[in-house]
Amino acid sequence: MQSALHTPLGQLTLVAAGYAGLVTLVALVTTVRRVPRPAWLDHMVWILELLLAVRAVAGLGSMLGGQRPEEMSAHVGYLVASVCILPIAMQSISDDRGTWSSGVVTVAALAVTVVAVRLQMTWGHGA
Amino acid sequence: MPEPAPRSGPHKVLLAFYALFTLAAGARAAVQLLTQYDEAPVAYWLSAAAAVTYALGWYAIRRASVGHTGFASVMLWVELGGVLTVGTLSLVERDWFPDASVWSDYGIGYGFVPAVLPIAGLLWLRRQKQQAPEGARAGA
Repeated sequence: MQSALHTPLGQLTLVAAGYAGLVTLVALVTTVRRVPRPAWLDHMVWILELLLAVRAVAGLGSMLGGQRPEEMSAHVGYLVASVCILPIAMQSISDDRGTWSSGVVTVAALAVTVVAVRLQMTWGHGA
Repeated sequence: MPEPAPRSGPHKVLLAFYALFTLAAGARAAVQLLTQYDEAPVAYWLSAAAAVTYALGWYAIRRASVGHTGFASVMLWVELGGVLTVGTLSLVERDWFPDASVWSDYGIGYGFVPAVLPIAGLLWLRRQKQQAPEGARAGA
């Protein structure tokens, strides 16, 4: 992870992981406070999704440009998961603004945080 | 008569975890079985079994959320038994696990969530059974 800071793709991954961690924390606090899911939490989720989509396109571009991750199949799996998890989670709570729907956001954002870190780890050579 | 859609509640969080672990365990097992089968086939098949368990657990919780708790009563205990058995075997019979499975060391690779998940599910199910109407339970 040290050399990740020296490449644009690595920096983007770290920003995505950090922001995903923030969304996790905010969604967890919202769940614990037992209030209906606020609209701004949805906005945070979609900004995170946009960040992940940009990261995925950039990662795909790197691979098409000839760079190869150290663990190819795992990396591609994480790349796909990174853009799919949040839309599926949001779809599952689209008609539910109850307090537990923020719990679903917490789980999805936590998963995306882990996936972003694993993206960096499976890339291997400094992104 | 069509079943009512599941209400909002903690089961939504459980369903999210089960869907996630179906995906995580299934993808992990598929990749490892296809690319490095000879390294630790027992561990990789156990990960595949964990993925199937999570998929069935997801279905069981979805049914329990509309009052049909019978399948979940079985499935969550099966899952807990699986985690405890594989977790214990991975500690006692290290030779059987040259590489980790999802439930190795009680799910240490996933922050012990695999050990906590069936317990959380059983606690929710207990409350669900208290709330579910008798008629719905009989139909499970």
